[in-house]
This record gives sequence, C-alpha cells and structure tokens, in this order.
Amino acid sequence: MNKHPSPLWTHLTSENRMTGTWRSALPNYQNQPSPCLGACPVHGHIAEWIKQVKDGDVYGAWVTLTENNPFPAIAGRICHHPCESACNRQHMDETVGICSLERFVGDTALAEGWQFSAPPTQETSVAVIGGGPAGLSAAYQLRRRGFRVALYETKDELGGLMRFGIPAYRLARSVLDGEINRITAMGVDLHLGVPAVDGAALETLQNSHDAVFLATGASLPKRLPALDYANPWVVDSADFLAAPVSEQTDRTGARVIVIGGGSAAMDVARSARRLGRSVTVLALEPEGRLPAQRIEVEEAVEEGVNFVHGAMMKSAEALGSGVVLNCVRVDFEPGDAPGAFSVEPLDGSDFELMADTIIPAIGQDADLARWSGVLDAKGPVVATGRDWQTSKPGLYAGGDVASMNRFVTQAVGMGKEAATAIAAALTPGDARPPANGAAQVAYDRINIAYHDTHGRNRQRNTEIEARLATFDEVQQPLGPNEARSEAARCFSCGTCIYCDNCYFYCPDMAITKLENGYVVNSDYCKGCGLCVAECPTGSIHMREDTSS
Amino acid sequence: MEMTKYRDNGQFCSGHVACAGCAEALSMRVILNAVGEDTVGVVAPSCTAVILGGHPMSSAKIPVLHGTLESAAASASGVKRALKAQGRDDTTVLCLAGDGGTYDIGLQALSSAAERNEDILYVCFDNEGYMNTGGQKSSSTPHMATTGSTPLGKATHKKNLIEILAAHRIPYIATASPSHLSDLAAKVEKAKSIRGTKVIIVLIPCLPGWGVADNAAVKTARLAVEAGAFPLLEIEDGVHYSLTVAEKTRPIDAYLAEQKRYRRLSDEDRAALQSEVDDAWSRLLARAGKDLNA
Repeated sequence: MNKHPSPLWTHLTSENRMTGTWRSALPNYQNQPSPCLGACPVHGHIAEWIKQVKDGDVYGAWVTLTENNPFPAIAGRICHHPCESACNRQHMDETVGICSLERFVGDTALAEGWQFSAPPTQETSVAVIGGGPAGLSAAYQLRRRGFRVALYETKDELGGLMRFGIPAYRLARSVLDGEINRITAMGVDLHLGVPAVDGAALETLQNSHDAVFLATGASLPKRLPALDYANPWVVDSADFLAAPVSEQTDRTGARVIVIGGGSAAMDVARSARRLGRSVTVLALEPEGRLPAQRIEVEEAVEEGVNFVHGAMMKSAEALGSGVVLNCVRVDFEPGDAPGAFSVEPLDGSDFELMADTIIPAIGQDADLARWSGVLDAKGPVVATGRDWQTSKPGLYAGGDVASMNRFVTQAVGMGKEAATAIAAALTPGDARPPANGAAQVAYDRINIAYHDTHGRNRQRNTEIEARLATFDEVQQPLGPNEARSEAARCFSCGTCIYCDNCYFYCPDMAITKLENGYVVNSDYCKGCGLCVAECPTGSIHMREDTSS
Repeated sequence: MEMTKYRDNGQFCSGHVACAGCAEALSMRVILNAVGEDTVGVVAPSCTAVILGGHPMSSAKIPVLHGTLESAAASASGVKRALKAQGRDDTTVLCLAGDGGTYDIGLQALSSAAERNEDILYVCFDNEGYMNTGGQKSSSTPHMATTGSTPLGKATHKKNLIEILAAHRIPYIATASPSHLSDLAAKVEKAKSIRGTKVIIVLIPCLPGWGVADNAAVKTARLAVEAGAFPLLEIEDGVHYSLTVAEKTRPIDAYLAEQKRYRRLSDEDRAALQSEVDDAWSRLLARAGKDLNA
C-alpha cells in the first residue's frame, strides 16, 4: 500500500486507486511517416535529419541523410523537392526549405571531408551498367552492404546526366566530383570509356556477376519530325549541354531558339544567355504550365530569356544568313502519363520567328534497340516488375532506362530500391524490414500552438549581371545560423522531439519519461487524450483499449 | 510559444478521481509541486475537495484541512496563525476553492482575510459555475453561457473578482491558465515568496459543465487567453497591472465554438460577446498602460 507521508487520519495516497479501469483508449507512441517522407523519391527520413541540424549535429544529419541518398549536396541544389510541396507547414505559413537544408548538410560534409565507411568486400559481385545517378546510387548502396561492385560507363567520367546535362551554374563541378569520388573511394571497380553494353555483353556480364543492374539512362534525343537535324543551324540539346563552353560558343549564332519547356530547355536557354546569345524559348504549354520547375523558369526570365508559350514550330528554313521558323499557336492538353500530351493547332494563328540556331530540347528516349529480343520493353522503357527486376532473372534496371519518372532524385531512389532488392536476393534469409504502413501525419495532427509563425529563410541568388558573366553557381547557400533557424521551422511531423509535453500535460501523472521516450502507466491513464492533443509533432495517437 | 516546463517532485498523486482530461487536476499538479512540501492545504467544498480527498486516501502529499464553503479563507487564516504560534511561519498555507466558494459563498471570508492581509496563498479554480453539483450558475458564470439554472443563457455579466480584489490593495493577484503551465508554476513560486494575501485565479474549462471534449480543456483555455476572454495578468499592490500575454491574437469565435454552453448563440450574440471582450481588453490595457506612465 502507498502510505501517506503525513501521520494523519487520512493515511493512504490515491495511488491505491487504479483509475486506468475507467479507460477505453490508450495513447500510443508511434513515429508515423511525415508527408515529406511520403513524397521523397529516395524515402529520406527528413524530419529526423532536420532535427539533427536543429540540434547542431550536422554530422549526424549527414549520416541519416546518406542512408538513402549519397548525394545531399547535389540533391540540395537540383532536386525538384516534392517534399516541400507536401510539407504540412505550408498550411501555417510557408513550407520548410528542405532542399536548402539538404544542401547545407551536403556542403558541410564536403567541406569537412566526411567519408563513407567501406565494409570489407564480399565475394558476391554485382555489375552496375551506367554511372549516372541511378547507377551510382545502386553502387553506393551495394558497397555499403559489402558487395563487390563493378561499374561500367561509356563516358570517360562518371555522373551521367548530372555532369553532361546539368550546367555548372546549377551544380558546381567540384560538388559533383566531391560526392561521386566519395562513392568510388568505397572501392568500386571502375570501367570507364567502355563500349555500350549490347545484348551479348549483357549475357557475359550476367555470367561473371551474381546480379546486374542496368542504368544506362535515356541517351537518344527525341526528334522533331519537322526539323532536318542535318542542317548546321540545328544543334541537339544533349550535345550542346555536354559540350565545353568553347564548343557551345562555336556552334551557336547570335539568336538562339530553344524548343521545349522542360528542365533541359531551361538549361540550354540559360547556358546560351551566358554565351551572350539572345534566347527565345518556344514551348507548347501555356504560360505557368511548363514542365520545368517554376524556379528555373523564373530565373530564366530574370536572365533575359524570352518565352513564346502555347505554340509550335511547323517548319524551319534557311533565309539569308539566318533561319525562319514557321510557327502556329496551339491548344495544349496534358495526358495522363508523365510526359504525355496532345496539341491542336489554332487556325489562322500562324507567325514567324527568326533565329540563327535552333536547339530542340524536347526530351530523351532510352535506347532499347541494342537489347531487342533480349529484354522485354514496356512502351519506351525496359519492362521491370516488382523490385526493378527485368524479364531476365538477376538483371535489374532503374533510372531513365526503366521509367518515365525522369528527375535526378527519382533515379537515385530507383537505384536504392533496386540495390536493396538485389541485396535481399543475394543474401538468403535476409528479411527486408517491413514497410511502415502507418498513415501519414496530416496537418490537423500538429498542435500549432507550439510553432511560432516564421517565414522561410531563403537562399539568395547572385545578382543577374554577375550570373550572365560566368557559369558560377546562382544559388547561394544558407549560413549556419540561417540553417539552424530554418531547421527549427520543421514541425517534425510524426517524429517525436522529446519535448515532454505529453508528460507535462497529463493530469494523472500516468506518463513516465525514459532515457529516449515515454511509457504510459496503464494503471492510472484515464484515456483523456490530452497528451495527444498537446503533442506538437503528431507522434502519439489514441488506440482503442479493450483490455479492461 | 515556449515549450512547457515545470518541476514535478511527486506532490500530487495518480489515482485521484478527477474526470479524465480535467484541467483542474492538471493545474493542481503544477501548483502542488510549485508550492512545495512545506505547505498546509485548506480546501473548500468543491471539485478540489473531491480530487484531493476520498478518505482514507489523499492525492496530495501535504496535509489538507477540509473546511466549509463559506469559510475557506478564514480557516486558512487560522491555520496560518496557528503555524506561526508554533514557530512555523515559513510554512505556506495554500487555500484552494472553486468559484462558488470564492465569488459567491466564500467572498465575505476572502474579503476579510484580504483586508487583514493574512499571509495565505489563495487559489481559485474558476470553472465559472457550480459544476460539482450538476452545473448551476455562479456569479462567475459569463454572460450568455447556459448552465443548469440558466438554460437560456445567463442574462447578467461575470462578476469582476479581479477588480474587487485589486480594491483590497493586496500584494499579489494573478490569473493563470492550464494552457500556460510554466507561467502558472512561475506565478505560484512568485506568490509564495511574497508575504500577505496572494490570490491566483486559474481558468478551468469544465469538460461536462462547459460541454468540452475530453482532450480539449487545454485547447479551450488557450483559446480563451488568445481571444482575450481570459487575460493572463498580474496585479501588484492592487494598482500595478501587467499583462503576461500582451496581445489578443484571435476573435472569440473559436473559443465559443469549442463549448456546448454557447451553442445557442446567434451571430448577434457572438458579436455582442466580442464587443464585451474588446471593451474589457481596452480597459485592461488602459490600466496596464497607466502603470507604465506612472
């Protein structure tokens, strides 16, 4: 019996009364997925690493981040950040600048020279074909698990689209090299400048390795039927972006017309502006609906790129020293699948544009012809089933060659998923952890009384004039204090921050603090739910209790 | 808003019989721990008496004297004087009563104790009615709130006890809310350090009495503070006013909507209540401002 300390008539404490019997529901601590995690192509534990940034543990944040993505400095610059679009904070003031925080962590890691630990190499060996984001991500995940990795790349340098498709003003080459070198330093058997892998070579690689991951990207430019690519005034966008600046200068005239509205079109247009060219983008989509990220379009406009929206080129012909493009306005209808659309030319809306160079940037296709009869295709990509396995057992595929989801971080995510599947297949008895099937934490689960309104800490851009003079990076990073302040804006949806609110708000003293968490005393908890209501992160919920 | 923090030394025990989610039990937890072990409690008949008592058990670790409804402050004065006679002048006497025992039935005793400036810490758990006896109106019940005895809404205003107490020129008066627990603990600690009569009025949204959800007492109290319907303040020596939460950040609507006792209100009623809150708030600002200019 709990004796009362005071030697009076009343001699027991109320702890002898088990008020837990009143209860019909019990609080349950369960870290639930945040909306950002659900939206993240690499399924990164965003709330967790942002809390580490907030607490000043940048190394810890980097370790958490790189569990899923070996490229935080790269993704922090170029990711299309669907996490931010999903962020619950937008319902209060503005989304958390997750991308800028990721860059802060990635840049800190590069500056500090943090390296990945490389476990000893096992005998089991995996061939990765393609050194772009998907291939490198897979190689990294496989090496982390101790597999031997052989990486085959047709180019002389690694990086794929990140190096040959994204200009340096968006992604500094030192950053790209730094994050790639950190992966190869884990001990990857590199084969650079090899011939493209055809069906026969695929067979050979499968025989000499325990598994093969195919991530050759989408290297074939889509072609405009109305344009004769043999003309000297037509330059393919992929060739243009891959070329050194001197060659870009040689191949373009004073007036450049870029055809397309995606990221590649913006990259071409803004690169051409840096060469001093006058640039017009001709896009099928109406204004505000370009497939490129909104920020890319805004920055292109700032840099003096002209836009002709909702129109297409019908034909182009040389005229004097230049080219005339015969164009027409169109009605644009997006389709269901990514990249699908239909257009209807509008009668009597013809117009002309004058140029010296035309650079079509309307997308790339995977080159599937080399594996015809060997690999099944599904539309324009290699067919893959669950876990990214192709029609050939032991052969996996991911990235642009296997999917129409064409953002860099989506490729990184596919590389991770395929590597996880390969590892599971090659390690008998290695059960994969079950997916967290819990529902995402919605905004109404966050008690915003504990979150003060605070606008976003924005990254600054270099002055426009300075931007156009070089290919130096446009976006300037957050400083350490800004990063801490931005990290503090995170609601930490579904991830406990150990604030003790649940403990402090219990009227029944039924919650005990532990070293790293809390426990509910079911003898006394009456099931009121105050702890859940006052939780600032939505990481507790009430669960029906039928035990008593 | 700052995160919550206060000391809990186990002065209030689990197993008490307050309703699930009761903000009074929550506030009592903070107060009993802030006031410390060297305390004697004096309790008027009220929810507090039920929560603390239940012979042969007590949920408080301190000794508690259960008095009568009209005499809580007088009983506390007597206990304090007896302790002083025993040479235990440092022992705090904590008087706990509801709004019925404070605004109505115990007002004479409280007024007399305050006039004599008895060295007691008096806490009123203000749930704006006789909620323990089935929910009748008290003089603390606000305008238009329905209770068992005001089924169409109370026709008159809530008694302004704060002004009454200020008129006694006692050293310390404060209001507090279960939505601001660190502030409640700080006010108790401050009051404990002052000699003379100290009164703290804590707003207690009563779950059954106000028609508030089991998990929403704290939220309701927070809305009251944010709407300025229950301003958090301190008054020293009856004249020096200071606002703990200096801004009114939302209209009264969300506060009213959280409670079934206001569900009969028309739009005009709500507008009338809003203008009452606005008027009271400007008067309060004027008092706090006057002090700044003094």
